[in-house]
Amino acid sequence: MQKLVVIGAGMASGRMLEHLFEAAPGAWDVTLFNAEPRGNYNRIMLSPVLSGERSYEEIVTHDAAWYESHGVTCRFGERVVGIDRARKEVIGENGTVAYDKLVIATGSEPFMIPLPGRDLDGVIAYRDLEDTNRMIEAAAPGARAVVIGGGLLGLEAAAGMRLRGMEVTVVHLMGHLMERQLDPAAGYLLRRALVDRGIEVLCSANSKEILGENGKVRALMLDDGTELPCDLLVMAVGIRPAATLGREAGLAVGRGIQVDAQMRSSDPDVLSLGECVEFEGQLFGLVAPLYDQAKVAAATLLGEEAVFTPREVSTKLKVTGCDLFSAGDFAEGPGREDIVFRDPARGVYKRLVLEENRVIGAVLYGDVADGNWFYGLIKDGTDVSDMRETLIFGPAFQGGAPADPMAAVAALPADAEICGCNGVCKGAIVAAIQNGASTLDAIKATTKASASCGNCAGLVEQVLAVTLGDDFVAPSARPMCACTDHPHEDVRRLIKAKEIKSMPQAMQELGWKTPNGCHSCRPALNYYLIADWPLDYKDDPQSRFVNERNHANIQKDGTYSVMPRMWGGMTTPDELLAIAAAAKKYNATVKVTGGQRIDLLGIKKEDLPYIWADLNAAGMVSGHGYTKGLRTVKTCVGTDWCRFGTQDSTGLGIKLEKRLWGSWTPHKFKLAVTGCPRNCAEATCKDLGVVCVDSGYEIGVGGAAGMELKETEPLAKVATEQEVIDITVAFLQLYRESANYLDRPYKWIAKTGGLDWIRAQVVDDLENRAALIARFDISQSIYQKDPWAERATPEYQRAWAPLADLTQEAAE
Amino acid sequence: METATATVSPARAFIGVSEVWVPEGDRLVHAAGEYGALRAFEEASIRTSFGYGEGLPGKAWAEARPVVLKGFDGSYFKRTEAAKEAGLTSAVALPVFAGEVLKAVLVVLCGDDDTTIGAIEVWAERDGLLLLDDGYYGAAKHFEWVSQHTHFPKGQGLPGGVWAAQTPMLFRDLGSGYRFIRSESAGAAGLTTGLGLPVPVPGEQTYIATLLSARGTPIARRFEIWDAREARMGKDGGAMLIDGICEREGPLWSEDNPRRAQIWQGPIGQVLGSGLPQVISGGQIAAGYSSMVALPIHRGEEIAHIVAWYV
Repeated sequence: MQKLVVIGAGMASGRMLEHLFEAAPGAWDVTLFNAEPRGNYNRIMLSPVLSGERSYEEIVTHDAAWYESHGVTCRFGERVVGIDRARKEVIGENGTVAYDKLVIATGSEPFMIPLPGRDLDGVIAYRDLEDTNRMIEAAAPGARAVVIGGGLLGLEAAAGMRLRGMEVTVVHLMGHLMERQLDPAAGYLLRRALVDRGIEVLCSANSKEILGENGKVRALMLDDGTELPCDLLVMAVGIRPAATLGREAGLAVGRGIQVDAQMRSSDPDVLSLGECVEFEGQLFGLVAPLYDQAKVAAATLLGEEAVFTPREVSTKLKVTGCDLFSAGDFAEGPGREDIVFRDPARGVYKRLVLEENRVIGAVLYGDVADGNWFYGLIKDGTDVSDMRETLIFGPAFQGGAPADPMAAVAALPADAEICGCNGVCKGAIVAAIQNGASTLDAIKATTKASASCGNCAGLVEQVLAVTLGDDFVAPSARPMCACTDHPHEDVRRLIKAKEIKSMPQAMQELGWKTPNGCHSCRPALNYYLIADWPLDYKDDPQSRFVNERNHANIQKDGTYSVMPRMWGGMTTPDELLAIAAAAKKYNATVKVTGGQRIDLLGIKKEDLPYIWADLNAAGMVSGHGYTKGLRTVKTCVGTDWCRFGTQDSTGLGIKLEKRLWGSWTPHKFKLAVTGCPRNCAEATCKDLGVVCVDSGYEIGVGGAAGMELKETEPLAKVATEQEVIDITVAFLQLYRESANYLDRPYKWIAKTGGLDWIRAQVVDDLENRAALIARFDISQSIYQKDPWAERATPEYQRAWAPLADLTQEAAE
Repeated sequence: METATATVSPARAFIGVSEVWVPEGDRLVHAAGEYGALRAFEEASIRTSFGYGEGLPGKAWAEARPVVLKGFDGSYFKRTEAAKEAGLTSAVALPVFAGEVLKAVLVVLCGDDDTTIGAIEVWAERDGLLLLDDGYYGAAKHFEWVSQHTHFPKGQGLPGGVWAAQTPMLFRDLGSGYRFIRSESAGAAGLTTGLGLPVPVPGEQTYIATLLSARGTPIARRFEIWDAREARMGKDGGAMLIDGICEREGPLWSEDNPRRAQIWQGPIGQVLGSGLPQVISGGQIAAGYSSMVALPIHRGEEIAHIVAWYV
C-alpha cells in the first residue's frame, strides 16, 4: 500500500480524497494533517453559520466516521513544521511521517492590511470556524462591528453579524461594493439592500488606523479623521496563498506553489492543489476550479491522464434575500457592447457584455433565474447573433416587452411629491384622477399640480397614463438622450421625489437603458444631483466636460487658458504684478476679456498646478471662466468715480460675486451691475443685470448676448442693496433647482411660461425667498471653495506631468 | 451544541390542530384540516363556516392581519365548547393574501398546559421597528415576557431578518450555541429552531410571524423553505428547496443540487398550483411523518415562497 500524506483538510483535498477512495479503495495509506483541530467542512457555508441560518454540524463534509471508514490517520490540530524531500518525510509538531506521494493543500491566509493597531485584541480576519465563533461570541444587541472590505466575504460577515443583533459598518476602499464581481449599477442595488438591513456602508473610504484601549480595539479611524467605534473589527480584504511550507521545502513558488496541469509541483512526488497553488500565473479562490483540481490530482495519483483547465467562474453572495449573479468579464472596452435591462419597480438589473457576438460577461441583480444559462453561453463561447434582440430575456423568452418607461412612475409611493411648487403628491393626483380628472388641465385645476412652473407636467401625464391606462394618451416628450426615455424635467422631479442621491441609483431607479450613461446624460445627472443633494452627493469629475475636470479652458492647440477671479472687475497693482510674473514664467499670451478679467492663454496642462500655486500665493482664486456656474460680475465704476453714478455699483457687484462664486448652475451664469441707466456695464444683456437708479435698483433677468440677442426682462425694483442680493440669490437658486441642464436662464424662463411664476417665488413670497436663500447657502457651504487651491499640490503636479517627453526630434 | 440529527424522542406536539379556511361566496368554509384524535372538534369544524369578521378566521379576513387569540371563553371564537372539550385553548390565524385577494386563512390551535413549550408570534411594524403584536407561548412565560419587551430593527434577529430580506428564514439552535437575540431566555425555554415568515396583507402594514420550536414539544420535526419566485425559477416556474432541516434526514438544503418541485406535483406543487395552503395527513408524507402543513407566501399576486412544516 502506498503512503500518501496530505497537508491541509480543506475542501479541495477533501474532494480529492473522495475521488481517490471511490476509484481505488484501499490503495492508499493516507495521513491527513490539518492545522485546524477538525476535518473537512464546507468553508463557503460559514457565513450562514455566522448568521444562524445553518449549524456547524450541517456543514461538516467529512466526519470522524468517514475518516475512520477510509482508514485515514487524522492528525488534526497539528501543524506541519517542515518537509524533508530528500528523505520523503513530512515533519509534524508531533513527529514525522514518510510518504510516497505528498499533497500540499494548505489553502490561503487572509491578508491583513498593515494598519497601526492591527494586533489589538478584537481585530480578526474571516477565514475559519474560529473567526466565525469569535464573531458569534462578540454578538450582543448593541455591540458594534466594523468590517473592512466590501467584497463577498466582508459583506457576508456584515450581514451575519447584523442578524446576530450587532450594529455593523462596512468600510470599502473602492467606489462600489464587490467591484471585482459587480459593476456600479449592481453595486448600488446591493448597497441599497444592505442599507435596508440596517448596515452602514461607506464606499471610497480609506482606513488609516485602528484605535485601541487597554489592548482592545476601540474604533477604526479613516483618513478623513472619521472614527467608527467598534467592539470587533473584521478585516476581509482578500487572501493570499499559504505557500510558505512549499517555499521552505525548496519547491518552485511564485505567488503560490507552482503546479503543472496535472497538479504536480516542481517535485513530481509532491502535488499541490487549492488556494495555495499558482497555475500559469493564475491563483484560485472560488470553489469550482478547486474541485476541478481535486479531480485532476486524484487522477494523477492514480496514474491516469487528466489535465486541469481553468474555467470561467460565477459568483453568488450568501446573504438571504440578496439575489445576485456575476460571471465572466464585464469591463468596458473597445469592440464590446452592452445589453442592459432594468426594472426599477422590482429592483432588477441585468447586463450582458458581448464581444464578437459572444457573451463574455453577465451581471444580474434581483432576477438571477437565467444566470446559469448565461454562464453556459459564456463558458461555451456560443455565437448569439441570432438571438441578440431577445438575449437579455433569457432562454424562456416568449415575446417579452422591453423596459417600460412608466415603471419608475408606477413604482413611486403615494406620498412621493410630484409637484414641488405646490407640494402635490402622487396620491393626491391619483385621487383626483379617480374622481374624474382625466387631462393635464383637469389635474391642474383640481390639485394645482404643474400649475406653476410646469416642470412636472410630464410626470403628471405619466401618472395619468399609469392610472388610466389606454384611456390616456400622453403627448410625446423628448428624452434626455438615447440612454433614457425620460425628458430632463421628469428626471429632475424624480430625483427629488425618489430622493435619488447617486449616479448608479439614478440610472437604476429611472430605468436607464445603458450601463453607465453617456457623455450627454452623465454631466446632466451629475449637475442635478449636486444641485438637489449638495450634502449627500459627491461630485463625480468623470461626469464633467474636460474644462470642468481640469478647471481651465482647453484651447484649439491643446493648451489651456487660466483666468484669476477679479471681484467685480477690480484689481490691484500687486495682483497685476503677480499676473505679469506668471504670464512671463509660463510664457502666456495675455488677453483682457469681455467680462473685465485678464486671461492667460497658452498654458500647458502640466504647468496648471504650478501657475495656480503662484496665483494662489498672490491671493487670487479661480475665475471659473470654464464652468457651468457663476462666471463674472461686471461692474462700472459707480458713484465712487463716475459723475453719473447713482449707487455704488462696484461695491454691490463685488458683494454679489463674493456671495455667488463657486456655485454650479445648469449653464454659465453672468451678472452685471451698472451704476446708471447709461448701462456702461451692459447689465441689460446678462443672465441677471442690476441697473442702479436714483430710487434704488432695477433687477432684470433672462438677457442674452451670444448666438441669440435678448434684453433682460424686469423682475423687480427694490430700494436696498440687501434686497438686490437676496433676490439675486433666490433667483439663482430657483434656476439651479428647476432648469434643465444646459438651458441658460432666458430659455428656462420661456419654458416656465414667463416671469410671473418666478416673480412669485423670489420677489413676492418672502418665506419662499428665504427658503431658497437657505438652500443656496447650504450648497455654498460645500461648493464655495477654490478648485485651484485644492489642486495646486505636489500630487496634482505629479499626476498632471506628461508620461513621456515626446518633444525630442526623432533622429535623437 | 445540539445536533440536528439527534435521535427522535417521543414528544407531544405543540400544535394540536391545523386547518385551512377558504372563501366561498361571502363566507369562509372548511377546506382541509389535521385534527389528530380530536374527532369531535373536527366534526364541529367541518360543519362550520365564517362570515366576514365572524369568528377567528373571519376576523383575520376582515382585519387583514394575523390574529392571536388566547382564551376562548367570552371571545369571538365560535367553537368554544368543542375546543374546550378537545383541550384547545389558544389559536393563531394567518390570512393568505394574493395582492388584495384573500386566498385562505390558516388556523392553528394549541392546548394550554404547564409543559408545552414553543412560540407562535406575530410581529408588527411600528415607527420603523418590529414590536410584538401578540404571541402564544404555552408554558414559556419568561420568554413571552422577554419577547414583549424586545423590539427588532430591520436586519436584526429572526423577525428583523425576515422583514429586511422579505424571505422566510430558518434559524438553528436558538438557545444553545447560537446567540439568538433572545437566546438566553430561548435557551432556558428549550427553544431550538425558529421559522420566520412574512405575512403579506393589503396595504402598507408589515407583519412577520415566527414559529419557534422546542425539542420537547416541537411545533414540527421538519421545516422546509421553498423559493418559487420567477426571479429565481425563471418562466418555467416550479419551486426550489432553499433551506430545510429534518430530525430524521438532517439538513435538507443542497448548494449544488437543490430539490425542485413542479406545479401540481406533490404537496408543494399543489400549493404552487392552487395558491392555497395545504394541510395533509396520512399517506405518503416525506420522511414518514404523519402530517404536514404547507403555506404559500405571496409577493403581489404571485407566490414567492412556500414554507412547510411536518410532524
